[in-house]
Amino acid sequence: MRVQDAQQQPDVGFLPALQRRRLSRLARMTFHVAWPLAEAQPVLPLVFASRHGETPRTLAILSDLARGEPLSPTQFSLSVHNAIIGKWSILRGDTSEMSALAAEGDGLEQAMLEAGMLLGEGAPAVLLVIAEETPPAIYAPSIEDVPFPYAVALLLKPGDEWRLQLRTGQGPTSDWPHPLNLLRALCGEQLFLEHYWKSRRWTWSRNKP
Amino acid sequence: MSDLQHEIKNLIIDALGLEDLTAEDIAADLSLFGEGLGLDSVDALELGLALQKRFGIKIDAEAKDTRTHFANVASLAAFVSAHKAA
Repeated sequence: MRVQDAQQQPDVGFLPALQRRRLSRLARMTFHVAWPLAEAQPVLPLVFASRHGETPRTLAILSDLARGEPLSPTQFSLSVHNAIIGKWSILRGDTSEMSALAAEGDGLEQAMLEAGMLLGEGAPAVLLVIAEETPPAIYAPSIEDVPFPYAVALLLKPGDEWRLQLRTGQGPTSDWPHPLNLLRALCGEQLFLEHYWKSRRWTWSRNKP
Repeated sequence: MSDLQHEIKNLIIDALGLEDLTAEDIAADLSLFGEGLGLDSVDALELGLALQKRFGIKIDAEAKDTRTHFANVASLAAFVSAHKAA
Protein backbone atom coordinates (compact mmCIF):
# COMPACT_ATOMS: atom_id res chain seq x y z
CA MET A 1 0.00 0.00 0.00
CA ARG A 2 1.23 3.46 -0.80
CA VAL A 3 -0.46 6.78 -0.18
CA GLN A 4 -0.24 9.34 -2.96
CA ASP A 5 2.48 11.86 -2.27
CA ALA A 6 1.92 15.47 -3.30
CA GLN A 7 5.37 16.45 -1.97
CA GLN A 8 3.99 18.82 0.67
CA GLN A 9 6.77 20.33 2.77
CA PRO A 10 6.53 20.73 6.53
CA ASP A 11 7.06 24.24 7.83
CA VAL A 12 10.52 25.02 9.18
CA GLY A 13 10.10 28.79 9.13
CA PHE A 14 11.84 28.97 12.53
CA LEU A 15 15.15 28.36 10.71
CA PRO A 16 16.98 31.15 8.85
CA ALA A 17 16.28 30.99 5.09
CA LEU A 18 19.93 30.44 4.19
CA GLN A 19 20.07 27.46 6.57
CA ARG A 20 16.88 25.70 5.62
CA ARG A 21 17.24 25.86 1.84
CA ARG A 22 19.36 22.71 1.59
CA LEU A 23 17.28 20.60 3.95
CA SER A 24 15.53 17.64 2.37
CA ARG A 25 11.97 16.85 3.28
CA LEU A 26 13.24 14.13 5.61
CA ALA A 27 15.32 16.75 7.41
CA ARG A 28 12.42 19.22 7.42
CA MET A 29 10.09 16.61 8.91
CA THR A 30 12.67 15.83 11.57
CA PHE A 31 13.16 19.49 12.46
CA HIS A 32 9.45 20.18 12.37
CA VAL A 33 8.57 17.51 14.94
CA ALA A 34 11.68 17.77 17.12
CA TRP A 35 12.24 21.53 17.37
CA PRO A 36 9.29 22.32 19.68
CA LEU A 37 10.31 19.49 22.04
CA ALA A 38 13.83 20.86 22.31
CA GLU A 39 12.77 24.43 23.02
CA ALA A 40 12.67 24.01 26.79
CA GLN A 41 15.90 21.99 26.88
CA PRO A 42 19.05 23.89 25.98
CA VAL A 43 21.16 20.73 25.99
CA LEU A 44 19.65 17.53 24.72
CA PRO A 45 21.24 14.30 23.44
CA LEU A 46 19.56 13.03 20.29
CA VAL A 47 18.99 9.58 18.83
CA PHE A 48 17.86 9.71 15.22
CA ALA A 49 16.62 6.53 13.56
CA SER A 50 15.72 5.98 9.95
CA ARG A 51 15.82 2.70 8.09
CA HIS A 52 16.09 4.23 4.63
CA GLY A 53 17.52 7.69 5.27
CA GLU A 54 18.05 10.09 2.39
CA THR A 55 17.35 7.64 -0.45
CA PRO A 56 16.28 10.43 -2.87
CA ARG A 57 19.71 12.05 -2.43
CA THR A 58 21.69 8.86 -2.85
CA LEU A 59 19.66 8.02 -5.94
CA ALA A 60 20.40 11.49 -7.39
CA ILE A 61 24.12 10.95 -6.77
CA LEU A 62 24.07 7.46 -8.29
CA SER A 63 22.15 8.78 -11.31
CA ASP A 64 24.79 11.49 -11.87
CA LEU A 65 27.49 8.85 -11.59
CA ALA A 66 25.72 6.60 -14.09
CA ARG A 67 25.52 9.50 -16.56
CA GLY A 68 29.19 10.27 -16.04
CA GLU A 69 28.36 13.72 -14.64
CA PRO A 70 30.22 15.42 -11.80
CA LEU A 71 28.63 14.97 -8.39
CA SER A 72 26.89 17.76 -6.53
CA PRO A 73 28.88 18.62 -3.39
CA THR A 74 25.66 19.58 -1.62
CA GLN A 75 23.98 16.26 -2.38
CA PHE A 76 27.12 14.41 -1.40
CA SER A 77 27.65 16.22 1.90
CA LEU A 78 24.03 15.76 2.96
CA SER A 79 23.57 12.17 1.82
CA VAL A 80 25.31 10.51 4.76
CA HIS A 81 23.09 9.09 7.46
CA ASN A 82 24.24 11.47 10.18
CA ALA A 83 23.93 14.64 8.05
CA ILE A 84 20.60 15.58 9.59
CA ILE A 85 21.81 15.33 13.17
CA GLY A 86 24.93 17.25 12.17
CA LYS A 87 22.72 20.06 10.85
CA TRP A 88 20.61 19.82 14.01
CA SER A 89 23.68 20.14 16.21
CA ILE A 90 24.92 23.20 14.29
CA LEU A 91 21.57 24.97 14.09
CA ARG A 92 20.75 24.40 17.75
CA GLY A 93 24.27 25.08 18.91
CA ASP A 94 24.08 21.84 20.90
CA THR A 95 27.14 19.59 21.08
CA SER A 96 25.47 16.86 23.12
CA GLU A 97 25.98 13.24 22.15
CA MET A 98 23.95 12.46 19.03
CA SER A 99 23.72 9.31 17.00
CA ALA A 100 22.05 8.20 13.79
CA LEU A 101 20.83 4.61 13.48
CA ALA A 102 19.73 2.68 10.45
CA ALA A 103 17.91 -0.28 11.89
CA GLU A 104 15.36 -2.51 10.23
CA GLY A 105 11.74 -2.96 11.19
CA ASP A 106 12.37 -2.44 14.88
CA GLY A 107 14.36 0.78 14.54
CA LEU A 108 12.10 2.45 17.07
CA GLU A 109 12.95 -0.09 19.77
CA GLN A 110 16.65 -0.09 18.87
CA ALA A 111 16.65 3.70 19.17
CA MET A 112 14.80 3.42 22.47
CA LEU A 113 17.52 1.10 23.74
CA GLU A 114 20.16 3.65 22.73
CA ALA A 115 18.21 6.45 24.39
CA GLY A 116 17.71 4.33 27.50
CA MET A 117 21.46 3.90 27.81
CA LEU A 118 21.97 7.65 27.58
CA LEU A 119 19.39 8.15 30.33
CA GLY A 120 21.12 5.41 32.31
CA GLU A 121 24.37 7.33 32.00
CA GLY A 122 22.71 10.30 33.64
CA ALA A 123 21.25 12.40 30.83
CA PRO A 124 18.21 14.22 32.27
CA ALA A 125 16.36 13.89 28.97
CA VAL A 126 16.93 12.41 25.52
CA LEU A 127 15.30 13.33 22.26
CA LEU A 128 14.39 10.42 19.97
CA VAL A 129 13.31 11.00 16.38
CA ILE A 130 12.30 8.31 13.93
CA ALA A 131 11.58 9.41 10.39
CA GLU A 132 11.15 7.94 6.94
CA GLU A 133 10.83 9.52 3.51
CA THR A 134 8.83 8.08 0.62
CA PRO A 135 11.38 6.10 -1.38
CA PRO A 136 11.99 7.13 -5.00
CA ALA A 137 9.78 5.23 -7.46
CA ILE A 138 12.65 3.05 -8.63
CA TYR A 139 13.01 1.58 -5.12
CA ALA A 140 9.29 1.25 -4.46
CA PRO A 141 9.08 -2.47 -5.31
CA SER A 142 11.73 -3.23 -2.67
CA ILE A 143 10.56 -0.91 0.12
CA GLU A 144 7.27 -1.92 1.64
CA ASP A 145 7.44 -0.31 5.05
CA VAL A 146 6.99 3.36 4.08
CA PRO A 147 3.43 3.80 2.77
CA PHE A 148 3.74 7.54 3.42
CA PRO A 149 6.46 9.81 4.81
CA TYR A 150 6.35 10.27 8.57
CA ALA A 151 8.35 11.55 11.51
CA VAL A 152 7.82 11.01 15.23
CA ALA A 153 9.73 12.82 17.96
CA LEU A 154 9.69 11.71 21.58
CA LEU A 155 11.13 13.58 24.53
CA LEU A 156 12.22 10.85 26.94
CA LYS A 157 12.84 11.31 30.63
CA PRO A 158 13.73 8.75 33.30
CA GLY A 159 10.70 7.16 34.90
CA ASP A 160 8.78 3.93 35.27
CA GLU A 161 5.54 4.71 33.51
CA TRP A 162 6.51 2.63 30.50
CA ARG A 163 8.55 -0.53 30.26
CA LEU A 164 10.03 -2.09 27.15
CA GLN A 165 11.00 -5.73 27.14
CA LEU A 166 12.74 -7.86 24.53
CA ARG A 167 12.15 -11.59 24.21
CA THR A 168 12.42 -14.16 21.48
CA GLY A 169 9.28 -14.73 19.51
CA GLN A 170 7.59 -14.50 16.17
CA GLY A 171 4.30 -12.92 15.28
CA PRO A 172 2.47 -10.75 12.76
CA THR A 173 4.13 -7.58 11.50
CA SER A 174 2.44 -4.23 11.74
CA ASP A 175 0.12 -3.07 8.93
CA TRP A 176 1.52 0.43 9.02
CA PRO A 177 4.64 2.15 10.38
CA HIS A 178 5.15 0.85 13.89
CA PRO A 179 6.13 4.22 15.44
CA LEU A 180 2.57 5.33 14.73
CA ASN A 181 1.27 2.40 16.77
CA LEU A 182 3.28 3.65 19.71
CA LEU A 183 1.94 7.15 19.15
CA ARG A 184 -1.58 5.78 19.22
CA ALA A 185 -0.84 3.84 22.40
CA LEU A 186 0.64 6.93 24.05
CA CYS A 187 -2.30 9.11 23.12
CA GLY A 188 -4.92 6.58 24.16
CA GLU A 189 -5.41 4.59 27.29
CA GLN A 190 -3.62 1.59 25.82
CA LEU A 191 -1.59 -0.36 28.39
CA PHE A 192 0.13 -2.81 26.16
CA LEU A 193 1.76 -2.92 22.74
CA GLU A 194 3.56 -5.74 21.01
CA HIS A 195 5.88 -5.56 18.06
CA TYR A 196 7.53 -8.45 16.26
CA TRP A 197 10.48 -8.22 13.96
CA LYS A 198 12.28 -11.32 12.73
CA SER A 199 12.86 -13.39 15.87
CA ARG A 200 12.44 -10.46 18.22
CA ARG A 201 9.36 -9.78 20.29
CA TRP A 202 9.22 -6.34 21.84
CA THR A 203 6.66 -5.69 24.54
CA TRP A 204 5.70 -2.20 25.62
CA SER A 205 3.70 -2.01 28.81
CA ARG A 206 2.37 0.91 30.76
CA ASN A 207 2.32 0.85 34.55
CA LYS A 208 -1.02 1.93 35.88
CA PRO A 209 -0.56 4.95 38.12
CA MET B 1 23.26 44.88 -16.17
CA SER B 2 24.74 42.62 -18.82
CA ASP B 3 22.92 39.51 -19.99
CA LEU B 4 25.79 37.42 -18.72
CA GLN B 5 25.55 38.92 -15.23
CA HIS B 6 21.82 38.28 -15.22
CA GLU B 7 22.38 34.69 -16.29
CA ILE B 8 24.96 34.17 -13.54
CA LYS B 9 22.61 35.61 -10.93
CA ASN B 10 19.90 33.17 -11.94
CA LEU B 11 22.42 30.36 -12.01
CA ILE B 12 23.41 31.19 -8.42
CA ILE B 13 19.78 31.25 -7.32
CA ASP B 14 18.94 27.94 -9.02
CA ALA B 15 22.11 26.03 -8.20
CA LEU B 16 22.16 27.07 -4.54
CA GLY B 17 18.44 26.87 -3.84
CA LEU B 18 18.06 30.56 -2.96
CA GLU B 19 14.36 30.36 -3.66
CA ASP B 20 13.50 33.50 -1.68
CA LEU B 21 15.68 35.70 -3.91
CA THR B 22 15.37 37.10 -7.42
CA ALA B 23 18.16 38.31 -9.70
CA GLU B 24 17.27 41.89 -8.75
CA ASP B 25 18.21 41.16 -5.12
CA ILE B 26 21.81 40.36 -6.02
CA ALA B 27 23.81 43.47 -6.93
CA ALA B 28 26.71 42.82 -9.29
CA ASP B 29 29.19 44.04 -6.67
CA LEU B 30 27.61 42.27 -3.66
CA SER B 31 30.08 39.93 -1.92
CA LEU B 32 28.91 36.37 -2.46
CA PHE B 33 30.71 34.80 0.49
CA GLY B 34 30.85 35.76 4.13
CA GLU B 35 29.41 39.25 4.59
CA GLY B 36 27.02 40.06 1.76
CA LEU B 37 25.03 37.17 0.34
CA GLY B 38 26.41 34.87 3.07
CA LEU B 39 27.30 31.83 1.00
CA ASP B 40 29.61 29.16 2.42
CA SER B 41 32.26 26.75 1.19
CA VAL B 42 29.80 24.08 0.03
CA ASP B 43 28.08 26.81 -2.02
CA ALA B 44 31.44 27.68 -3.57
CA LEU B 45 31.91 24.08 -4.72
CA GLU B 46 28.32 23.84 -5.95
CA LEU B 47 28.61 27.13 -7.83
CA GLY B 48 31.89 26.02 -9.39
CA LEU B 49 30.15 22.88 -10.61
CA ALA B 50 27.20 24.85 -12.00
CA LEU B 51 29.56 27.21 -13.91
CA GLN B 52 31.43 24.22 -15.22
CA LYS B 53 28.23 22.61 -16.49
CA ARG B 54 26.76 25.79 -17.97
CA PHE B 55 29.81 27.37 -19.54
CA GLY B 56 32.21 24.47 -19.87
CA ILE B 57 34.81 26.16 -17.69
CA LYS B 58 37.17 24.05 -15.65
CA ILE B 59 37.73 25.72 -12.31
CA ASP B 60 40.79 24.99 -10.24
CA ALA B 61 39.73 25.19 -6.60
CA GLU B 62 43.38 25.48 -5.54
CA ALA B 63 44.36 28.33 -7.87
CA LYS B 64 44.87 31.58 -6.01
CA ASP B 65 42.90 33.58 -8.58
CA THR B 66 39.76 31.52 -7.99
CA ARG B 67 38.94 33.41 -4.82
CA THR B 68 39.13 36.70 -6.73
CA HIS B 69 36.92 35.41 -9.53
CA PHE B 70 34.28 34.28 -7.05
CA ALA B 71 34.15 37.60 -5.19
CA ASN B 72 30.92 38.81 -6.77
CA VAL B 73 28.73 38.51 -9.85
CA ALA B 74 30.70 41.15 -11.79
CA SER B 75 34.00 39.33 -11.27
CA LEU B 76 32.42 35.99 -12.16
CA ALA B 77 30.98 37.47 -15.38
CA ALA B 78 34.40 38.85 -16.29
CA PHE B 79 35.96 35.45 -15.58
CA VAL B 80 33.38 33.63 -17.73
CA SER B 81 33.75 36.16 -20.59
CA ALA B 82 37.52 35.79 -20.57
CA HIS B 83 37.14 32.02 -20.87
CA LYS B 84 34.58 32.28 -23.63
CA ALA B 85 36.90 34.57 -25.60
CA ALA B 86 39.90 32.31 -25.08
